[in-house]
Amino acid sequence: MKRETRKVKFVGRVAPVKQSEPQMVIEWPRSLVHTHTYGMLSPFFKGLREGKLMATWCPNKKCPEKRLWIPPRAHCPDCHTEMKWKALRNPVIGTIYTFTEVVYAGTGIELSTPYWQIDVEIPGLATIPKSYLLYGTPYIGMKVQAQFRTEKPTNTVLDYYWIPAE
Amino acid sequence: MITFKEGNLRIPKWNRRVFMVAGGTTAYRKYFPEYKLEELVMMAFKQMLEDNDLKMDPLEVKGLINYAAYGEFADHFQDQLLCEAKVHDYLGLDPLYNTGIKTGGATGGTTILNAAMAVASGYADVALAAGWERMDEVDTRTGNYYISTAACKDFETRLGRIYSSYYAPMANRFAWAYNVSETTRAKIAVKNRLYACSSPYAQQPGKHTVEEVLSGRISAYPLRFLECCAMSVGAACALLCDEKTAFKLTDHPVEVFICGGTHTLRVADRRPMEIPLLPHETPEMYKDLIKEGARWPGFESFLAARFAAWLVYRMAGIHNPLEELDLVELHDAFTISDLQTYGDIGLRPYGQEGDYIESGDAYYGGKCPSNLSGGLLGTMHAVGATGIFQAVECLWQLQQKYDKFHGDPKIWKKWGKQKPKDWQSLQIPKNSKQALWVSHAGVGSHVTVGILRKSW
Repeated sequence: MKRETRKVKFVGRVAPVKQSEPQMVIEWPRSLVHTHTYGMLSPFFKGLREGKLMATWCPNKKCPEKRLWIPPRAHCPDCHTEMKWKALRNPVIGTIYTFTEVVYAGTGIELSTPYWQIDVEIPGLATIPKSYLLYGTPYIGMKVQAQFRTEKPTNTVLDYYWIPAE
Repeated sequence: MITFKEGNLRIPKWNRRVFMVAGGTTAYRKYFPEYKLEELVMMAFKQMLEDNDLKMDPLEVKGLINYAAYGEFADHFQDQLLCEAKVHDYLGLDPLYNTGIKTGGATGGTTILNAAMAVASGYADVALAAGWERMDEVDTRTGNYYISTAACKDFETRLGRIYSSYYAPMANRFAWAYNVSETTRAKIAVKNRLYACSSPYAQQPGKHTVEEVLSGRISAYPLRFLECCAMSVGAACALLCDEKTAFKLTDHPVEVFICGGTHTLRVADRRPMEIPLLPHETPEMYKDLIKEGARWPGFESFLAARFAAWLVYRMAGIHNPLEELDLVELHDAFTISDLQTYGDIGLRPYGQEGDYIESGDAYYGGKCPSNLSGGLLGTMHAVGATGIFQAVECLWQLQQKYDKFHGDPKIWKKWGKQKPKDWQSLQIPKNSKQALWVSHAGVGSHVTVGILRKSW
């Protein structure tokens, strides 16, 4: 039998030592790309690219929940019926329910800090979706209008935001 | 609208009584390269077995365990799947079964709930509840991003990538709805960080002033850095058992009651509903609470905490929490979440939460002091350990062992510290009977409320 002479080589990256004493601490790099589906909520994200806010609603006549959902859900939480889609008519005007100024954000933040994060009540919705104010200073009760990043969309929830409407 | 049917509101009942007899903890640090995770859990485990005055040899006590529940918040942080197996082996507990528990910030509370269920059901006579977190493998901003993936990744995470930005809107709304001054929030930070000065386990003790808190750096308006909890490394554990074993192991066991509640991960999805009333509340108390444009729970309150309290007060037969509890340990991840919880668990009616602080009730020596451990703001938030650490602090308080576990210079030395010359005991009075602790996740996605009752 022929003797195998090929040796296993180290093909990785040497782990840099951050601290040697008293305990040894090394760097442990992590860099990953996940694949993520929007699943049955895809119409919402496609809608943003087209300048539309898409909401879902439950078509079950016996269901007590008649209001719209944004964030949308594919199934009604109360009766489990598959929901229907409806585009809100532009201009969508909402009211600021509450807000914060994000000063210190976590790694990977895609908005320039500081910025105003706002929670907006929209007529007809069961929910109070979170978004951000493009400019201006928010207060509780302030009227705002939805806008869309239809050019160079990010393909994320950041593709809609609000501007003052008063 | 959330509506309940009969079965949904059944009050949990153990098949047999459950007791807690011993606890252990490590100190908590921002960066803890001295020990690996499993080594830290071993140190808490040893303190539990060896230093709680149990009436049996530590290894004989270990020999009674036949189930373990392990709490860990995030695999991201440890970067080790099945950490439970590694820890369990390291503690020398194979092949006894163990279950990993994950309910965000409420992981510690849920871990105790799981261990209690094992004892109550008869699966185990003696169950270990242990929890940990190692949050120092990444820098602070990356840690904050990891935690923010416990917001909805599709609709919320990208809008802040830090949890303070999900609590700050609640703080603004709460202040608007109930006309609460920022000073009240700041007093919570001052109080809990001060109490941490008496703890050898504390990560960020400090003698701050209200002015210092309010003039400090802002994380997300209106929350200042001093109003936000620690990001920690450390471990805690507790020993739960049936009645017969409890009295075999100690003359000072405490009985355990614990229930949980949940609500939407996204605050956005909270639909308005009727307030579930605690035993001492009436509908008249709240007829003028909701002003125009407001809703309950809105962004002001936590249905999960209210529901857990609603259940556990009935399970434990508590009629008026402020009158019947001698200590509470609340989940003060942020000053605002602490403040909001006072209403949820009935220390004050909704809308009057601030009075619990302003009246002095919440302070050491007050009617029902809160977070004498230093809480999450002053002492620790190694997430999987937190709800266990809080319960252990309640246990030691009821057993009159605060000084033993906080005042011994050897414990300070063990964790590389010197006991302060002006150290003050925060031991609650001898006639204290009951303590409560809250373990809380997300923006109120999972909450457990537990009661420990002195049983001797």
